[in-house]
Amino acid sequence: MSSKFHQASNVTAQNQLIQWINEAGMSEAGKKAGLLRKIVEYLLHSASQMIPVYMENILSCVNDKSTDVKKQVITFIEEMSKLHAEYLPKIIGQLRLLVTDDVIAVQKRAIQAASIVYRNTLLWICKGNAELSEMQYVWDNLTQLKLMVLNMIDSDNEGIRTHSIKFLEEVVLLQSPSEGSEDDFSLEDFPSTLPFINRRALEEESEHIFDLLVKFHNSQHISSVNLMACMTTLCLLAKFRPKYMPKVIQALGDLHTTLPPTLSQSQVNSVRKHLKMLLINLIKHPSSNEMMPQLTQLLLDIGMTTQDINKAVPKERRNKRVGELKTGDAPSKRFRVDSPQSNSQGSDSNSNSRSDFAMLEDDSSQIVQKPAVTEDSIYEGLNNVENVVNLVTTTLVNQLPNEMPNSFITAYKPIPNSGTKAQKKHLAKMMLALIKDEKVIPAPEPPQPSLSDLAAKIPLLRDDDEKITLKNAVAKLQESTKADRQMESAVSKLMEETRQDHLKEEERKAKEKEKPIPPPTPTVPKLKQKVKLLKLQEITRPIPKEIKERLMIQAVNRILHAEKEAAIGGAAQIRAKFITIFASSYTPEIRELVLNYILDDPTNRIELAMSWLYEEYAFMQGFNRHPVTLQPKVHEKHDQNYNQLLCALITQISERGDPSMENSKDVLLRKIYSEAPVITGEAVDYLKHLVSEDKVAFLALEILEELCIMRPPRAHKYMASLVCHVLNENEEIRDTTLKSVVKIYQCGTEAVKKAIEKHAMLYLGFISLSSPPQELISSRHHGMRIPWNDEMFRICLNLVMALFPYNEDLIVEVARVYGCAGSDAKRVVLRVVEGPVRAALAAPMPDKDDESELRPAFRALLDECPRGAETLLTRLVHIFTEKSAPSSELVSRVRELYATRVSDVRFLIPVLTGLSKKEILAALPKLIKLNPVVVKEVFNKLLGLQNPNEESPVTPVELMIALHLIDPSKADLKYIIKATALCFGEKQTYTQDILSSVLQRLAEESEIPVLMMRSVLQALTLYPGLGPLVLNILQLLVEKEVWLNKVAWEGWVKCCERLLPQSCFLLVSLPARALHAGACSPALLAALRAHVQGLSTAERALLPAHVTGICLQPPEQQYTPPPGPNPLEPLPPGME
Amino acid sequence: MDDLYIAVVCSSNMNRSMEAHAFLVKKGFKVKSFGTGEKVKLPGASADRPNCYEFGIPYDDIYNDLLEKDKSYYTQNGLLHMLDRNRRIKPSPEKFQVSTERFDVIITCEERVYDQVIEWFGSRRSVYNQPVHVINIDIQDNHEEATIGAFLISDMVTKMAQTDDLDNDIDELLHDFEGKCHRPILNCIMFY
Repeated sequence: MSSKFHQASNVTAQNQLIQWINEAGMSEAGKKAGLLRKIVEYLLHSASQMIPVYMENILSCVNDKSTDVKKQVITFIEEMSKLHAEYLPKIIGQLRLLVTDDVIAVQKRAIQAASIVYRNTLLWICKGNAELSEMQYVWDNLTQLKLMVLNMIDSDNEGIRTHSIKFLEEVVLLQSPSEGSEDDFSLEDFPSTLPFINRRALEEESEHIFDLLVKFHNSQHISSVNLMACMTTLCLLAKFRPKYMPKVIQALGDLHTTLPPTLSQSQVNSVRKHLKMLLINLIKHPSSNEMMPQLTQLLLDIGMTTQDINKAVPKERRNKRVGELKTGDAPSKRFRVDSPQSNSQGSDSNSNSRSDFAMLEDDSSQIVQKPAVTEDSIYEGLNNVENVVNLVTTTLVNQLPNEMPNSFITAYKPIPNSGTKAQKKHLAKMMLALIKDEKVIPAPEPPQPSLSDLAAKIPLLRDDDEKITLKNAVAKLQESTKADRQMESAVSKLMEETRQDHLKEEERKAKEKEKPIPPPTPTVPKLKQKVKLLKLQEITRPIPKEIKERLMIQAVNRILHAEKEAAIGGAAQIRAKFITIFASSYTPEIRELVLNYILDDPTNRIELAMSWLYEEYAFMQGFNRHPVTLQPKVHEKHDQNYNQLLCALITQISERGDPSMENSKDVLLRKIYSEAPVITGEAVDYLKHLVSEDKVAFLALEILEELCIMRPPRAHKYMASLVCHVLNENEEIRDTTLKSVVKIYQCGTEAVKKAIEKHAMLYLGFISLSSPPQELISSRHHGMRIPWNDEMFRICLNLVMALFPYNEDLIVEVARVYGCAGSDAKRVVLRVVEGPVRAALAAPMPDKDDESELRPAFRALLDECPRGAETLLTRLVHIFTEKSAPSSELVSRVRELYATRVSDVRFLIPVLTGLSKKEILAALPKLIKLNPVVVKEVFNKLLGLQNPNEESPVTPVELMIALHLIDPSKADLKYIIKATALCFGEKQTYTQDILSSVLQRLAEESEIPVLMMRSVLQALTLYPGLGPLVLNILQLLVEKEVWLNKVAWEGWVKCCERLLPQSCFLLVSLPARALHAGACSPALLAALRAHVQGLSTAERALLPAHVTGICLQPPEQQYTPPPGPNPLEPLPPGME
Repeated sequence: MDDLYIAVVCSSNMNRSMEAHAFLVKKGFKVKSFGTGEKVKLPGASADRPNCYEFGIPYDDIYNDLLEKDKSYYTQNGLLHMLDRNRRIKPSPEKFQVSTERFDVIITCEERVYDQVIEWFGSRRSVYNQPVHVINIDIQDNHEEATIGAFLISDMVTKMAQTDDLDNDIDELLHDFEGKCHRPILNCIMFY
């Protein structure tokens, strides 16, 4: 029944398996791996009888593409080796294949499996059930596999290295004798009967592999993970194979003093922690018994306290150790005391110290009983007289050389403070040092050997670190303490800084523990360093600095001169990267080398230069960090490197006289300036300087302009170098600069604008100085005092005037400076300002459509009206009103100013037409006093002659009347006369009609204006048709008793004369007194007489008596006037 | 790299490891969490009287226990909330030292825990020779820091998952990460 059931289940199992296998064959990677896992599980655990049938199906998947599938195969092999070792011959070949798989993950898994398979194979072989040939086949395969993995310890892949370490651990463990430790398998279990197994060879192999592991462990460039894996492995080996214990402990001790320099701080921490854990683990293990002292010392070095260590040691052994101490077991004590040496496997050099110590041990036993010799313990010993006597006598008997050594003669000095506490302390210290194998007596200082000498003394050990060579090297090195110290410094220089700190810290802690009083004398090198000195790795590493630098330079040189090769090989970019790193991170020599290389052919190597520049920039800004090892050398000045490089490139390129470069010079300079990450002050200064060089002046200006435009954030800084050239003596440069500056001003940032304006203001300010400033005096006249000239003023004003169209507010500043400037300067300003202001007025205001409104800048100017700038203001207002009538705003401001600040009436002239009639009339007396040309202008304005569009608030009539009514006390009569004459001159305006209304109005005045009669005469002369009107006026005047006013009366008489005979009736109507006065004019008298005679008698009777009386006077009594106008009388103005 | 199997370990498998556990699970990682302490310790009414439980006692039970002891107090200090969160993730706190699973990466939240983990590894022999990376990030044992720590751990694990060959890249990866998170990182490799 059961067998039947079994069979049935077998069938279903088989069916299931077949189904899975078929399915797996069809499905894609992920699913296939899953199925394979099922198949393997099932086959191994439930259907093992079917393994031979289906094994091949699984193993064939070795060639599958999927990593997971392959891993499943490995799992299968691993399990098979454990559960069904009899199939090993079938599967071992596959495993070998998998160990060399292309995929790293598979490789790692295979190596992992290999160690398990290896162990299982050995077990299988030991059973000896299989055929010999099969066993041999498997063994051969395994041996090959072992070799493969052995080589993988040098793999590039860290994971593979880790796995191979673990594999090798297993190999060593299996192939070495167990020495009684209760391990499951060891060399002893190998069957001795098989021909292909040679125990001795296997043991040797394991030794070899162990050495390899130790070497790997101590290599300088091991990664932290590998290192920790290796440490674990070594400790495990030490635990289970105690024969390796000393070597392992030494390796760990070495590691503690010289960690690989490539580790970062936290990796160092991890490694130290790991080390501590492993050591504690070791100390707990019974096999470490023998090596207890070394282990304790190492733990102390790591920084554990004695208490902690004691806690870690298992109880029973702790007691045992105390017992050992009590019995006074010499060897164990000795270990304790000179453990630092025994760590370094008892070299020749410390055999002496040991004998010294043995002797000391006899003499002062209390020192030895201390767990460790300290300075204090020796000091106490020295206080015991008996001890001291013993010590001295023993030394005298046994140790003294027959002849006094030379070194002693030179070094010996009488001890000044012998017997004092301080001296004893010092002596104790020296003895301690001696016990610990230190050089105590300072050798006379030989001249310092140079580094290269020293380098010759450093034995360059090869990989096969033979201890004998090491010993020799150490012995040689110890010949001179001087060399020691040099060595130490060379070594320590190479140590990572952080590590050094760490070590020092630990050293300090250790010292604090050992010596409560810290009196280190310079003659006694410290114990720690001594131990460090003996480490092979450190002795072999440093190449002297000089040689290193030379090699470095040569290497860089080769790279530099491999341009073509690099390009052909497609490594041009990498090469460039290399070069930039070399140049930026290493010595000044390399910098120079690269710089020269670039300058040899700058056209083609400019890209290299640029990338170097960027590299330096990155350092300067802290984007890059120098590798730690390089930091100290260039650290203090690497922020200057960038500037230096930039300046070097620029100056060298522009100053190199190479004719072939002339053409590319500007391209190169332009490129550097436009592409460099930042332009330093010096580089800009250099450009400024270049402007003074004839050939490149314009190039420099262009570059400066480009800089300002292309690099807006710093443009305000570059600006200064450009803008100063607006004062240049060369006109062309000046103009170019001016154009550039204006261009930049238009498109620049606020900061740039500010900077430019500042300069403009500065230069503008110059004009108010008493003598031209340095900036303006060209180099030719340097130091000479030169007076101002117009040209200089003009130059100073250049910039501000050029900017004016873009910033009208500048006018306020101009006015301010104008106010304090001298008259010459003022003149120039007035002239210069005209053009721009006109241009500004012609241009429409940017944001306002209303033309009549005042520009804000001018408004501000008028508001402020700087002291002394009135003339400028006048000029400006004048210009404003040239083309159009003054706006009401302008007028009101001018009016205000006139009222408060500017008393000069000329200020009003431009806006006259905007003023009210009253104001004009009020100003009239002042206006007519001005220079005739100006007066003419004023009248033109008032009469609307200048600008036909302007509407004058005063009509010609009113003007004329106003002139006549001016109070003679305010203005001299002759000005008024001139003014009226001007009016009369304008015949187009003062037509007969106008004049008639003027005269009429004048006559209506209650007081007769002084000039009235003169004007009447003049008008009459101009327009004889006015006669009737004039008669009317005369008539009116008679009514006003004109004869009482002398001046008017004279004019009246003249008028009458002119208008004879029609005027006779006026004479008749005169009262007697007036008539007599008027009769003084003979022409009048004659005319009167003729008139009277021509009257009828009736009419004559109507005449007043005094008229007839005067007519009847004998004519002979009277003066006979010549006919016509009196030639003596001057003609009225305007009659010629 | 196929799925990383990750363990997050703190002292009590309560706060830090659970916070990270929750976070990593949300991100879809294969993760477990553990504690290494002797007992599960939670703050009690006073500093010298913590609440102690054995590993393996369900979060739910602990929750109810505290609820009974002083509901308002443990609500206020957030313990109940934390336990509530924890019982939604897994049944009970687990002790690392008794786990038989093999992980690819073990992340510890405190140097003492790290020490305990590597000590545990050191005390046993490797059978499978399967490597595991043990990494320590110091995280203070409070809620805010645990949240920050979970972010950091998630960042780190994400980076680990992105690399093709973790064994090869771990040094560099951790070095970069250390620079970024400004916390000292300890790490080593151990074998199962």
